[in-house]
Amino acid sequence: MSPLPHSTTAGLVVDNLGGGYGDTIVLRNVSLSLAPGQVLGVLGRNGVGKSTLMRLLTGFLPLSQGTVHWQGEPIGNRRPNHNRALGIAYAPQEGLVFDALTVRENLSLQRPDWRSLEPLLTSFGRVRERMAIKAGVLSGGEKKLVSFVRSLGEGAALTLLDEPTEGVQHENIALMAQHIRQRSDAGASFLIVEQNLSFLMSVMQRVLVLDHGEPVFQSDRFTRQALEHYLRV
Amino acid sequence: MLALVLSSVPHLSDDFRAYQLGTYLLYGVAAQGVALAWGRAGFLPLGQALFFGLGAYSAGMVLIASQANATLLALLPLAVLLPAALAYAIARLVFARQYVSGPNFSLITLALAMLAAQLANQWSGLTGGFNGLANIPEIGGLDRYSTVYYLIVALVVASTALLGWLYRTPLGALWLAVAQNENRLQFFGFATDRLKALAFALAGALAASAGALYATQQGLVTPQAIGFELSTELVIWTAVGGRFGPYGALLGAVGIGLLSAELRDVWIHWQVAMALIFILVVLRFPAGMAGALQTYGRRLWPRSWMAGAESLSSQSAAAPNYLPAPPRNRAADTSTLEPIRLEFNRVNVRIQGVSILSGLQLHLRGAGIHCIIGPNGAGKTSSFNALTGRLPLSDGDIHFSGRRVSGLRADTIARMGIARKFQIPSVFSALSVRDNLCIALWGNRANALQLLQASTWRWRSTLWEFLIASFPFLETESDRHAGELSQGQRQMLELAMTLLMEPRLLLLDEPCAGLSVAETGQQTDVIKRAVTLIGCTALVIEHDMAAVARLSDQVHVLHQGRLLASGSLADIQGNPDVQAVYSGGQK
Amino acid sequence: MDASAVTLALNLIYHIAVLALVGLGLGIVFGLLGVMNMAHGEFIALGAYAMLAVQNHGLAPGYGVALAVLGTAALGYPVERWLVRPLRSRPLDTLLATWGLSLLLRKSIEAVFGRQYQNVSNNLSGTSTLLGAEYPDYRLLLIVVIFVGFALLALWYRRSPAGARLQASVANRPLAQAIGIDVDRQACVAFVCGVASAGLAGALLAPLVRVEPLMGMDYLLDSFFVLVVGGLGSLSGLAAGSGIIGGTQVVVSTISDQTGGYVAVLLLSIGFLWLRPNGLLARR
Repeated sequence: MSPLPHSTTAGLVVDNLGGGYGDTIVLRNVSLSLAPGQVLGVLGRNGVGKSTLMRLLTGFLPLSQGTVHWQGEPIGNRRPNHNRALGIAYAPQEGLVFDALTVRENLSLQRPDWRSLEPLLTSFGRVRERMAIKAGVLSGGEKKLVSFVRSLGEGAALTLLDEPTEGVQHENIALMAQHIRQRSDAGASFLIVEQNLSFLMSVMQRVLVLDHGEPVFQSDRFTRQALEHYLRV
Repeated sequence: MLALVLSSVPHLSDDFRAYQLGTYLLYGVAAQGVALAWGRAGFLPLGQALFFGLGAYSAGMVLIASQANATLLALLPLAVLLPAALAYAIARLVFARQYVSGPNFSLITLALAMLAAQLANQWSGLTGGFNGLANIPEIGGLDRYSTVYYLIVALVVASTALLGWLYRTPLGALWLAVAQNENRLQFFGFATDRLKALAFALAGALAASAGALYATQQGLVTPQAIGFELSTELVIWTAVGGRFGPYGALLGAVGIGLLSAELRDVWIHWQVAMALIFILVVLRFPAGMAGALQTYGRRLWPRSWMAGAESLSSQSAAAPNYLPAPPRNRAADTSTLEPIRLEFNRVNVRIQGVSILSGLQLHLRGAGIHCIIGPNGAGKTSSFNALTGRLPLSDGDIHFSGRRVSGLRADTIARMGIARKFQIPSVFSALSVRDNLCIALWGNRANALQLLQASTWRWRSTLWEFLIASFPFLETESDRHAGELSQGQRQMLELAMTLLMEPRLLLLDEPCAGLSVAETGQQTDVIKRAVTLIGCTALVIEHDMAAVARLSDQVHVLHQGRLLASGSLADIQGNPDVQAVYSGGQK
Repeated sequence: MDASAVTLALNLIYHIAVLALVGLGLGIVFGLLGVMNMAHGEFIALGAYAMLAVQNHGLAPGYGVALAVLGTAALGYPVERWLVRPLRSRPLDTLLATWGLSLLLRKSIEAVFGRQYQNVSNNLSGTSTLLGAEYPDYRLLLIVVIFVGFALLALWYRRSPAGARLQASVANRPLAQAIGIDVDRQACVAFVCGVASAGLAGALLAPLVRVEPLMGMDYLLDSFFVLVVGGLGSLSGLAAGSGIIGGTQVVVSTISDQTGGYVAVLLLSIGFLWLRPNGLLARR
């Protein structure tokens, strides 16, 4: 398992990251780097610390060890609402939408650039159809779509997605992959936690596999078979 | 000793001082009730003067009526018993449906006190209205300005002794547990609403007895004795004096009360200062003056009586004559000869349009360990919640050995022999490790009388010995507060507590979460052996496949709120649907 | 139309409107933010006393309303910052701390103004005839002001971007943070607005009620029961609660007396705690 080379100013650089809840350390020794335009997939079964990694990176949990640098600046232990100003977008695994607001309100809360939302809305007609409907009544998969459109619509330099395809229909998953590839070609970075291997295989250039709170495999060369082995029951 | 000190006052000073002190001692007894409810059992009564006033008015009325007919004096105990019964009823009513404390109780008691004051003013025919119930005769001909003082001292000594004793009994520990983690205590089979109601009834009785003596000491009872201002002062005195023990409340009422009475007219801003002191105490010095005294006393005289025992149970730990715990209460069980049967029948749970469980159908029979696995959001913990009364069913039902379980209260279900361990270890953090274990042992075993006996602290069982042997820290760290243990140790402690209940159905939710590989091995080992020792059925939710391999006789896979597959681990591993769910190939 | 029936109906409407006005502050602070502010009644009292102070200095009542709102808002900021925010995760301690604050405010009012009942003069003390019944002008004005105010508030909350952001932070705090909303600042602003609306309520009601240090207690209890019955977290819950509690109070007081109304409200609230612990229209 070889750690990836560090680039010092651009992109995301994580060094020996660790953290958890209270005095329980759930995740430790995670190091990675992500240059502009790269997509990193984070794989692992449940309970291995994938969501904890997301929460540490987005400021929802304090770091108990290590550092996180974004575009040269240390960003560990900041308040989560600074992410947007830093150019980081986040789509959490749960609590995807604001149930009491309509889809339109969900998408327009922080005055986004509607032009960047347009191509997304064209791809995901379901979301456009449901603009005036309260997000709370949508199905799980539809909420994931709204969350995806919202987070990609922010046009951020780094987008963190936690299980974006859970409950989403096949055709839409392919479209999501397409949009991610387009954005990453244009220079945006993505860090995606997923259990859907096919989806990840179609977008990621690098992979990080976690087990028992530690990285067990990390590379930009991988085969589907090898990765399936890590997910096996 | 307290009796000596207090009795000497009239001799040292004069009768008038003693009279004043007497009044505030009575307030102190009422404050002791507030300390019991708040400092011990964890709920704040904001209208305690209600009971003080009820005791005062009733006693006053009986005494006045007894001037015409002396046999009416026999009604005097009612002046204490009726308010106590009312207190019990109120607490049962308010606490029946909750396991999370909120402001409801405090505000309802406040509203009741204000209502009572209004009624006292309005029903002037009965109460003398605004001017009060006057001309209350002295009780038994005792001179109110001198002899009644000794009656008051007697009451103070009795209440302090009673509370001091109660706080050291198992019931006292249970009250502390209610304050710390009421939710968890219910899962040991304790009806926490009854525990709280008992505390409140006692608090009401104390306030009412104080009120009764107040009536005869003052000769006059006005609505001031039943309303908002006195209720607030009782809380302030308890807070500043110290709410964690019976002496603090006395100290607060006498110390602050007398001081207030002197300063109130002299310094107009005294009351504002008092409010600031109250806020400061609440924020920074929760143990009040009594706590401060104890801390300094301990520093100056480490071996004095003020040092006290570190944990409640340590007093009994010194004596090695342990008693075997009585067998688990089997009254609520069905026949123990029959094998366990657990049935989820087409269980549906929907919350705000989101489907948590969709037609979950799961039938288990017989002893052994069943592991439940599945991706996030599959409904694993939700199935436990539905089974133990924490999640209402939208459809379907759950049966345990022939009895319908869905819709029952958590403590009822625990008493049926179903024990649950939580995903995030949930113990009583401010109690010692040994106290925690004792409480688990008493669940579903101790009757009301046994909870008042000191000997109950000495209960041990064969399983206890086994657990101490498996987790040595339970013995070596037995006096440590459970909150100070490491995460892994807390997991093991909670497991031990759950096992001590010797349930028929054991529900373990991620018992190895946060444990290292070695600790996981130790934990699974204990689970396996304990299950055999107890002869129960275990349902274990786990993510750690190594643990699943070691533990399970059967594995059940949950997905999207429904059962996907059941079988041995090998069967599951070979099942293509299961593989698909886990590697997300074809959802 | 029967004049007494019209009067009864107007009384009912007035009563419900006042309950909603008084309950709004607690609805924001407790219903929306989850902070049980035991000093809610005292903020209302401060508003009333602001009117009194302005009157004692011979200034126009308009200054009184301004003082009430600005004064309570100014007080609300340090309270949120240093009393409420540090105790955010400890509800029992918040209750205690705000109870202490309530005591402090009450005693301060006593120290400055004294314990006696006082009066704020009513500049609009005439009556008008409506559908055959005579009804005090000030009350009619209040009814109109309250209804219009609530309509505007509802519009703002449901339609404006700021209102949407507030709904978002309350409904799903982590997601709100993730999209860049400063939830702590929002909570602070909401709290300040909550206590300021209590101050406003006190100022508006001052000419109609007895102004004395203990006046806040009844308002606290009424507001609390309105929220228990109507449900936390929404304007419609506040409205529903006001309707039910107000209706009960008026109807029962007419049949028996005011104390009877009080008892009925208590019983009703306990009943709701049993059957519908989240209130009628809970959104939290």
